[in-house]
Amino acid sequence: MGPLIPQEIIAEGWNFFIAFVVGVGFGFVLEQAGFSSSRKLAGVFYGYDTVVLKVFFTAAVTGMLGLLYFSLFDWIDLNLVWVNPTFLWSAIIGGIIMGAGFIIGGYCPGTSVCALSIGKIDAMVFFGGIFIGIFLFGEFYEIIKPLYMAEYLGNIKLSDVLGVSQGTLAFFVILVALGMFYVAEIAEKKFPRKEY
Amino acid sequence: MLPLKRLTAILFGLGLVIAFVPENTTKQYKLTAGEMLTEIQFGTEMVSSDELADWLINKDPSIQLIDIRTPKEYEQFHLDNAINIPLNQILEDEWVDYVDQGIKMNIFYSNGTTLSHEAWMITRQLGYENNYVLQGGLNYWTETILNPSIPSPYSADDEIAKYEFRKGASQYFGGDVKSSTSQSKSKASKPKIKRKKKKKAPQGGC
Amino acid sequence: MKTKYMNPYLAGVLLGLVLLSAFYFTGRGLGASGAVKSMVVTAVETVAPEHTADSGFYSKYAGDGKNPMKSWLVFEVLGVLVGGFLSGALAGRLKLKVEHHPNITSKKRLILAGIGGILFGYGSQLGRGCTSGSALTGMAVLSLAGFVTMMAIFGTAFALAYFFRRNWI
Repeated sequence: MGPLIPQEIIAEGWNFFIAFVVGVGFGFVLEQAGFSSSRKLAGVFYGYDTVVLKVFFTAAVTGMLGLLYFSLFDWIDLNLVWVNPTFLWSAIIGGIIMGAGFIIGGYCPGTSVCALSIGKIDAMVFFGGIFIGIFLFGEFYEIIKPLYMAEYLGNIKLSDVLGVSQGTLAFFVILVALGMFYVAEIAEKKFPRKEY
Repeated sequence: MLPLKRLTAILFGLGLVIAFVPENTTKQYKLTAGEMLTEIQFGTEMVSSDELADWLINKDPSIQLIDIRTPKEYEQFHLDNAINIPLNQILEDEWVDYVDQGIKMNIFYSNGTTLSHEAWMITRQLGYENNYVLQGGLNYWTETILNPSIPSPYSADDEIAKYEFRKGASQYFGGDVKSSTSQSKSKASKPKIKRKKKKKAPQGGC
Repeated sequence: MKTKYMNPYLAGVLLGLVLLSAFYFTGRGLGASGAVKSMVVTAVETVAPEHTADSGFYSKYAGDGKNPMKSWLVFEVLGVLVGGFLSGALAGRLKLKVEHHPNITSKKRLILAGIGGILFGYGSQLGRGCTSGSALTGMAVLSLAGFVTMMAIFGTAFALAYFFRRNWI
């Protein structure tokens, strides 16, 4: 069965339309969850508002379980689902730079689009910053290329690295996520909080 | 806290199930070693020379002979309307439409049966259907069809009937090996096929 | 406490379902930074086409009749814009403003947002995807890169939180 477009069950022409519809859902949920507020987003790093952690991990775990169950029922062919390739060093260093950008700027690219759609000027500036950042990466690509290409491990899954089944890993991730949710609830009680 | 408790219950339950359910590893269109073994044991991939002769005499249009030997050997001698796919090229894109299709019956042959069996194993393992092997290969073909040996007069009736058939076939195919080379150089037409759609590689990434 | 936002767990499940539907229909997950990349490539190509062809980075996405704006992520991000606007309109949150902590001025907030954006933009290219494209989508498909990027992003942000606390609390 799925994924429908790579298997040409739905014509390729629908791809962009589906992208748009998926995007509407994405933006709507982000805004409803409060991801259009940088102060709410940054709250997770100080414990006063952990909505990022809750939404992010619940979504990741839901998607993960969904894929595994869909595969189990033969509704989706996991071989046709994109697994992003692992270039170990660029993933780590890129992540570190993004983390710094997150705590300084208060958004990530997806949430900044969501926030600027409801009129947050800081999000517009952040978005402009992303533009400049990518431009800088493009201009100085040759310098960073050795790091960008280093330690290529293929389109590898964590379950293969650990040598466990995908289901076992998913269960473990669920346990970790649930553990963090309970800690987050405690943190929110401990740190005084005002809704932004 | 109520939503979290509900979420915990659901995620924990679903997670526990998925952790212990065996993964769906069904690889479509591929055979396991066990399935291959069964096919080999029952010899379902084999086509006898008599069967083939019968089909060819009746000009069965669904037959596609595939000569698996080197182009040089193919030049020297090959069966009528056979196409040449040397074993080392069997996986090349050029030939995929011939060996992976659901319309014609491909019959691999080589001098003996080693090469043709190798070709069959490789394609079968990939899940391709409709590929068969000429039992005994060209050597046996020559021996039985082109130059059938006369059975002793005391043979069973069916032996004699077989000989009669082979004798006829021998005449049809030009009797002697030397004269049996191809008269028609027409290359077999590529089957118009409904090949399984080639799946696209997954795309994605930022 | 009364909140004007959706319950985060419910929102998370819904977001997970959006992600799952993206996988089911198109075999790929969500993303955001890729769309900005398309914009950058288009802009550079318009201004300096030769430079685009020479660059090892831009030439991957432009030239040979390729239109970088005709990409899945561009359309998806346009959807995000519309979806966010709809939700904001329904909840009465449409307002042009700079949101910042009383400790800091609007100007400082904007400068920080700009710096943060630059870092995020750069990092998203180096890390081959942002929070949504690499971390969220990557984790859902259990990719190693997804987990590594997620831990690097959140780990760094937590580690640096202390130094930037005046801006937020």
